[in-house]
Amino acid sequence: MKPTAQELKIMQRMQPGVITLSGFLGSDTRPLNEILESDSAALAALDRSQQEIADRMESFSQASWDSYLGETLIEGKYLVQTDVYRGRLPCPYGHPGIFRKAITRLTNQSNGLCVVWTSLNIHLIREHGFFEGKGSAFRLEPKTLVKALFE
Amino acid sequence: MLLTILKDVAVLAGISGVLAILLVIAERWLNNYGDCKININGKRELTVKGGNSLLSSLGEKQVFLPSACGGRGSCGACKCQILEGGGPLLPTEKPLLSQAELADNIRLSCQVKVKSDISIQIPDSIFNIRKFSSVISEIIDFTYDIKGITFKLDEGETIDFKAGQYVQLITEPYGKVRQRVSRAYSISSKPEINTSIQLIIRLVPEGICTTWVHQNLKLGDRVNFTGPYGDFFLRDTEADILFVAGGSGKAPIKSMLEHLQVVGTQRKMTYFFGARSLKDLYLTKEMKAFEQVFPDFRYVPVLSNPDPDDNWQGETGYVMPHFKNAIRDPQNTEAYLCGSPGMINAVCKALQEQGVAADKIYYDSFG
Amino acid sequence: MDISAFLLFWAAIFTSNILLTNFLGMCSYLSVSKEVESSLGLGIAVTFVLVFTTGLNWLVYRYLLVPLGIEYLQYIVFIIVIAAFVQLLELLIERYAPALYYTLGIFLPLITVNCAIFGVSLFMVIRDYNFVQSLAYGLGSGLGWLLAILMLAGIRSKLREKMVPAGLRGAGISLIITGIMALAFIGFSGIAPIQ
Repeated sequence: MKPTAQELKIMQRMQPGVITLSGFLGSDTRPLNEILESDSAALAALDRSQQEIADRMESFSQASWDSYLGETLIEGKYLVQTDVYRGRLPCPYGHPGIFRKAITRLTNQSNGLCVVWTSLNIHLIREHGFFEGKGSAFRLEPKTLVKALFE
Repeated sequence: MLLTILKDVAVLAGISGVLAILLVIAERWLNNYGDCKININGKRELTVKGGNSLLSSLGEKQVFLPSACGGRGSCGACKCQILEGGGPLLPTEKPLLSQAELADNIRLSCQVKVKSDISIQIPDSIFNIRKFSSVISEIIDFTYDIKGITFKLDEGETIDFKAGQYVQLITEPYGKVRQRVSRAYSISSKPEINTSIQLIIRLVPEGICTTWVHQNLKLGDRVNFTGPYGDFFLRDTEADILFVAGGSGKAPIKSMLEHLQVVGTQRKMTYFFGARSLKDLYLTKEMKAFEQVFPDFRYVPVLSNPDPDDNWQGETGYVMPHFKNAIRDPQNTEAYLCGSPGMINAVCKALQEQGVAADKIYYDSFG
Repeated sequence: MDISAFLLFWAAIFTSNILLTNFLGMCSYLSVSKEVESSLGLGIAVTFVLVFTTGLNWLVYRYLLVPLGIEYLQYIVFIIVIAAFVQLLELLIERYAPALYYTLGIFLPLITVNCAIFGVSLFMVIRDYNFVQSLAYGLGSGLGWLLAILMLAGIRSKLREKMVPAGLRGAGISLIITGIMALAFIGFSGIAPIQ
């Protein structure tokens, strides 16, 4: 399927140097809808919804928010740390609102998996099912993410 | 066939051309109000070509009133007081002005046209905001991800700011980045030096501006910025002061301390700086040196997570538990905070528990 | 077309009101109809511009486009003429009648893109009106538009204290009201058909 004008516009904003330095698509050359479809298929196979994942990520970010210096242990096995940088970012989909440059790093001690996400990632997953393109700095592989968050 | 097309195009172009010429002539004759003078706050006088809106005339002269709708008269952000020569109130302004504002002759500057000499009153903080052009004269590496950079203004230019305010850097296109962005950074030098400013900038992962600053800028490079902005600045009282900073939040507080050094003060001041480990500390010697400058000043770096190799002898943990000893009289204490929202949040809460009034806590939260 | 200019004038107001039968000029009709006062200002401005641009466009069409055989370019030419005229008018009023400018002039930029104005110019060509008929039709259409926006503004000012379902507030309820008004105006049709 050819990308629509709307998708082209969004992909334009995902390019390096528009919103973030290296963009959202990484080295992924597939059109946006293919990226979204393959990730949503992966999610279906894992039996998790976008909403569920985003809520879980947000609850971790929230919980580590106050302990601004260093890591907090949550539910006995998740080491979580959130760093906030100056400034905010808009959503490449052109949603109203801007998102903090807050970077959360979570280490699941039971399986050793470590994932890193920003506030914008949570929004992108919840509203758009977008996990960023392969090779992007904040690409979240659905399978790894679900394992890190829920196991 | 071709001839017909050419003829048709020529006719159309002719009609448009005649109308355009007519309009241009009309504009010259009718819209020519000559040069008009805009007097701002009775301090500065600008000469502009009459006929344009006040907002855009001011913008041309680098005086930027806030505007969110771009001059269409729908946001009401560009209000300013007109003392003389604004013409009658327009129906397009009326819905956005309150009774009190109408009585004060507050108008929407995007709707008011400059047709005669005009005299206006705008807040000093806006009056001082301008676009500056500068050259990088010094780059210091404070830590592995924080740099201090000095921008020297062009010959004859001066910047008028209050200790604690910030400016917005405007990047130039570089690498894959093809557009300009502007980002805010606090000024870390003292206002008494008005021919240059220093900024303390921490590298943000994937940040367009900070990457530009950290990896592309060299001594002698030309950089533009606008400012100064912000209402985080030192209040001129006699109350005790608590400074709390984290990360690159040292910048505005450094400016405040250097300013106090120039004007002199007897105020009791304590400065807590929260960081993770020794490698995140910077400017420690400089801050410690202020203990000799002021009669009652203490600099307390607090590490939450020092490396065992650091051999850290100082305070550890969070900064909040240390407030108790530093606060003499909560009623007579002001706090200036600069750091991440998480830190501001926690520190605000702790200060209020100690009895410091919420309106005496001033902060500059990231973003 | 063989119809008296006088009849055409009245017909343009009532039986074939440009707004209520052709639904032209809707954008400014919906956005400015919040207050009776500004509706009146805009309505008068529209009427004024309509008379002049219809006359001008008639002259341009008859003496420029027809002799040169480029009638098909009428759309572009009409738009350019309207835009230029409105600009010129704004400049003139602003300079020489500031008082009028503050009540009427500020609506002029809105009118440049008002499709009722363009529509009247096109109808005048399609229906083959002569110069006097065109002027009468322009004036009538303008007054008809003024009448329609005044009615809507009146109703909307009454509506302010009424409970309108949240989903219908603003443009939604205005369009429904306009539809009902249009139905009422159908009652006039048949008195003097001009279509």
